[in-house]
Amino acid sequence: MNDRISALSGQALAIMIALALGAMVILAVSESPLHVLLTLLDGAFGNPERILGTLLQTTPILICGVAACISLRGGLFNIGIEGQLFMGGFAATWIGFSFEMPPVLHVMAGLGFAAFAGLAWVAIPAFFRARYQTNEVVSTILANYVAVLITSYLTINIFKRAGGAPDTPPILESAYLPQLFSFSRANWGLVIGLVLAIGAHFFFTRTARGYAVTEMGANPKFAEYGGIDIKKQTFFLMLASGAVGGLAGGIESLGVHHRFMEGFAPGFGFDGVIAALLANGNPLGTIVTALFFGALRSGSLLLEVDTTASREIITVIQALIILAVSAQILVRRRATDSSAGERRWKF
Amino acid sequence: MEILERMFNVALIVATLRTTAPILLVALGGSFTTRAGIFNIGLEGQMLLGAFFAVIGTIFSGSPWIGLLCGVAAALALAFIFALLVVTFRANEVVVGLALNILAGGMTVSLLKAIFGTRGSIFGHGLVGLPVLRIPFAKEMGWFGQMISGYTPLVYVAFLAVPLFILFYKRTKLGLYIRVVGEKPEAAEALGISIAKIRYTASLLCGVFAGLAGAHLSLGYTTMFTENMSSGRGFMAVAILIFSAGDPKRILAGCLLFGFSDALSLRLQTFGVSSYLVLAVPYVVALAALFALSYRARPRIIQETLASMGRALSVKPPSAAEPPALAREP
Repeated sequence: MNDRISALSGQALAIMIALALGAMVILAVSESPLHVLLTLLDGAFGNPERILGTLLQTTPILICGVAACISLRGGLFNIGIEGQLFMGGFAATWIGFSFEMPPVLHVMAGLGFAAFAGLAWVAIPAFFRARYQTNEVVSTILANYVAVLITSYLTINIFKRAGGAPDTPPILESAYLPQLFSFSRANWGLVIGLVLAIGAHFFFTRTARGYAVTEMGANPKFAEYGGIDIKKQTFFLMLASGAVGGLAGGIESLGVHHRFMEGFAPGFGFDGVIAALLANGNPLGTIVTALFFGALRSGSLLLEVDTTASREIITVIQALIILAVSAQILVRRRATDSSAGERRWKF
Repeated sequence: MEILERMFNVALIVATLRTTAPILLVALGGSFTTRAGIFNIGLEGQMLLGAFFAVIGTIFSGSPWIGLLCGVAAALALAFIFALLVVTFRANEVVVGLALNILAGGMTVSLLKAIFGTRGSIFGHGLVGLPVLRIPFAKEMGWFGQMISGYTPLVYVAFLAVPLFILFYKRTKLGLYIRVVGEKPEAAEALGISIAKIRYTASLLCGVFAGLAGAHLSLGYTTMFTENMSSGRGFMAVAILIFSAGDPKRILAGCLLFGFSDALSLRLQTFGVSSYLVLAVPYVVALAALFALSYRARPRIIQETLASMGRALSVKPPSAAEPPALAREP
C-alpha cells in the first residue's frame, strides 16, 4: 500500500514537473501560463455545455485508450489505433448511408462493421507480429498513413456528393447513435467506453485468459514455459485491440459527425495510446487519463479563441507529461525491484 | 511504348535520387542507434524539428548555412533528451520516441503560430534554400552529367556518406565499439567499454544526421516548412533500419527502393491516378518490404540458437545473405 502511495505521488510529481516545463513553453510563445491554465479550465468545465464538450472529446480518447490498454497488457504496442479508427469510422458511415434498417439494428450493424474494419486493418501487422516477430510499432504506424489516405480516397474519389463539400453523404437517421442530452453532441459512446474499460479491467484481473495476457506482457518467456501459446495469444490480442479501435471510429461517425470527411478524427488514436501509457496500461486508470486529455482538448478550443497560443500547445504538454512520467517510473522501479519480470510496456 | 518512355527516363532517375536523399540521410543517422542496440522511433520528430529550425535559422540570419546548423542543433537537442531518458533513466525507448515525436509535432505548430501567426506552412519571409551545385563539365557528359549535377549539397552528402559509413563501421574504433555494444553488450562490458557513453554518442550522431535530413527537407528538397512535413519518412527509415539491421549498403538499397517508388508514384499522378492512392504508395511499399523481409528480424535468440545448433552439429550456420529453407515455410 505504501508502495502504491509513493508510486502515485511520484506520478503526481512527474506531472507537476511536466506542467512546469509546459509553463515555460507557454512563456516561450509569449503567453501568461496562468491565463492559459484558466482559459483551459474555463473551456473544459466553464458551464454544463462545456463539460459535455469535454465528455464528447473524452469518449474517443477513452475507447482508443482501452484499445491501447488491451495491447499494452500483453506487451504489444498497437500504435495503429488512429488508422483503425479511420477505417472503423468509414465502415460505420458506409453502413449508415448505404442501407436502410430499423433504428437499433442499424446502429448495431454500423458499430459491428466498424469493429470488424478495425480488426481487419490490424490483421496483417498482427499476423506478422505473431508469426515472425515483425516489429508491430513500425508496421502499425505506417498502416496509419495508408488508412488515412485510403479513407480519403474513398470519401473524395468514390463517395463524394456531387458539388458538395469533400465528405460522404450523411448517414440515415436510423443509424444515429443517440445523444445523452439534447444540447450536446455527447452520446452513448461514452457509456460504451466506460463499459469497455470496466469490462477490460475485469477481463485482466478476474479471468484466466486475462491473467495469461498479463503474464505474457510481464514476461513472455516465462509465460511460454507456463504453457501459453504466445503466437496465438499475440494475434488475437492485436485483433481485439484493433476491433476496439475500429469501434471508436464507428462511435465517432454514428454519434458525432454523422458522415465521414477528411481529418475525421484529429489524433484521437494517439491520444488514446498516450492516455493508456500514462495509466500504465490499466483500463480503469485510463478513464481518468482520458478525461484529463479530453479536458485539455476541449479547453484548447477556447484557448485558440481567447489567446494567441495555438491549441497544439496541449500536445506539447501531453508529450512532456509522458516524458516526465517515463523517466520517473524507472527511478522508482530501480529502487524497488531488480528489473525481474520487466514489462516491455512499462515506461 | 510511348507511355513507358514517358515513365522511365533520366528524369526519373534524377527524381529518384532527389526523393531518396532525405530518407537516406535520416536512415543513415538511425543506423548509429540501431547498431548500438537502441530502437529509435524518434527519428521522425528529430527530422521534423530539424526542418523547422532550419527554416527559422535561415529566416532570422539570412543564410541557409546557418539555418542548416540551427536545424542540426535542434535535432541534436531532441536526440540528447532521447539518450538521457533511454540510456540514463532507462525509460522505454518506444514510449520516449513516440512522446518526442508528438512533442516535435506540437512544438513546431505552436511556434509557427507564435512567430508567424499562421498555421499550415511558411515560405517567403526571406527564406532562401541551399544553393544548387553544378558540377563543372557535367554538360559535356550527356545524360550522365544530367544525372549527377544540379542537386542541393545535402543530396551529395547523403550518397557520399554511404561508403564513409561502411568504412566507419569496419575500420574505426568507434564504429567497432558501437557494433559491439549493440550486438553483445556483455562483451562490451567485459572489454571495459562504457555502454552508456557509446549509446549517448550513437544517439547524438543520429541526431546530427536526422537534423541534416530535416534541413534538407525544408531547405533543399523544398524551400518551405509545412506542418508535419516529414510525413512518415522517419518511420519509413525505421522500417528500413529493421530489415537492414543498420547495414549501410542495405540501407542504401532500401532507400533507393523508396525513392524510386516515391518518384514513380508522383509520375502516376500525371496519368490521372488519384493523388491519395499515389501518396499511399511509399507507405505500402515500406509495409510490404517490412513484412516480406521480416524473417530477418526474427529475434536474435532464434538466430543464435540456430547458430549454436549449427556449431554443435558442425554444420555451417545459415547466413543472413541467403535465407535458409526455414524462411520458406508456409
